[in-house]
Amino acid sequence: MPAPSGRRAAPTANPYLVCAAAWAVPGGGHLWLGRYQKGLTLLVVLPLMFAFGLWIQGRIFPFQFSDLLVGLAAIADLGIGVPYVLAKLAGAGAGNVIAITYEYGNTYVIVAGLLNMLAVLDAFDIAVGRK
Amino acid sequence: MDTTSHLGLLLIFSAFVSIAFAVLMRDEPREQLMFGAKLFGTFVGSAVLLGWLLYPLPL
Repeated sequence: MPAPSGRRAAPTANPYLVCAAAWAVPGGGHLWLGRYQKGLTLLVVLPLMFAFGLWIQGRIFPFQFSDLLVGLAAIADLGIGVPYVLAKLAGAGAGNVIAITYEYGNTYVIVAGLLNMLAVLDAFDIAVGRK
Repeated sequence: MDTTSHLGLLLIFSAFVSIAFAVLMRDEPREQLMFGAKLFGTFVGSAVLLGWLLYPLPL
């Protein structure tokens, strides 16, 4: 069946591999699917937002589900992919709870991860031909 | 920009989120620009408005 008008034909890449790439490298799924403008923008904006959050003393939350919000924040942080791993390897993300920008930094780091999760979903939609 | 200023951090946050949403939700660069600008204005405008609405309330 032909794709509805206004939609592009579904790319041939495996959608799940595209999702993995999109998670690991922000914008990676879009770049794989040939959406270079979107991919490059996400590749710059999301890691920059994550790094800015760490720079202003934000914290990478631990996976401690005894406090549900801490556990959920940890999942959101992980959403940014490879930058999360690099930050952990570099020893960044300890956070400084007495810094005036601590909560702001947490918000930046969490939202960067959540936005990358949205980018993963968008890449999936493109890969299966919905967009 | 002062990174301890609430307004400065609000502007930077709004810019990041607006760009990401505009890129994800619109396909054409012109549409992205318009949508991103509207989002940014809404973020900043609503924050300033809410700030003034809350201003008379005691802490």
